[in-house]
Amino acid sequence: MNGMWQVGVVRWVSLMLLWVALIGTHSAALLVGAIAAALATWVSLKLLPPDRSGLRLLALMGLLPRFLWQSLKAGWDVARRALDPRLPIAPGFVTFTCPYRGVHARDTFAAISSLLPGTVPCGESEDGLEIHCLDVGQPVVAQLTDEAQRMAHALGEDGHG
Amino acid sequence: MSLLIDAWTVLAVFSGVFFFLAGTVGLLRFPDALTRLHALTKADNLGLGLIVFGLLPQAVDVWMALKLIVIWLLVLIAGAVVSQRVARVARAQESGQ
Repeated sequence: MNGMWQVGVVRWVSLMLLWVALIGTHSAALLVGAIAAALATWVSLKLLPPDRSGLRLLALMGLLPRFLWQSLKAGWDVARRALDPRLPIAPGFVTFTCPYRGVHARDTFAAISSLLPGTVPCGESEDGLEIHCLDVGQPVVAQLTDEAQRMAHALGEDGHG
Repeated sequence: MSLLIDAWTVLAVFSGVFFFLAGTVGLLRFPDALTRLHALTKADNLGLGLIVFGLLPQAVDVWMALKLIVIWLLVLIAGAVVSQRVARVARAQESGQ
């Protein structure tokens, strides 16, 4: 229970910092922020209890440069296809068997993969993640497998469970 | 020096606007809800990112810069979460028809 309080306080302080960065430090705004941050902390402790998730925030931050690069490629890819008079798209679905065991890791991966070039996850089947692709001619599954390997450590999926 | 910074701002913001335009063209030209989601999420994320990077050197203080980055991150996170939720609904409706 003690650990729960500690994590709660850390999360509340982080959310307050976010609030101050966005809204500023007027006293009335701080009061609203304190209440909003408390509610958000409560929800976050319900949805993401401290002991269940193996997310490593620092490792995830380490992936940021690559992530920005992918975002650049993704935007460029879509812009190029949208503006090409021939509209070179070949939309379709592929199923990607996510190698992660943890539910949080899988969800986080799905969210991140929606920012990668050419892919938007659109559901789950027994075989894995259903991915909608802008161009099924691209090696989508190979790309996702590669990303999943790179992210395994940051998402707490490297071997221990 | 300030001329260089202003040139960077103009260049980056215009590039950002280009990607917003391309995303909107995709929204109009792509054939269905799922492909349009690609256009909106990917192109607009990049467009907003470029505009934020362009405006960063114009920020009057660190808080303003932080605010710009936080806004961009919040849009990224919201886009990542919401786009796959919308995609699930679109997929379910498609297979239901």
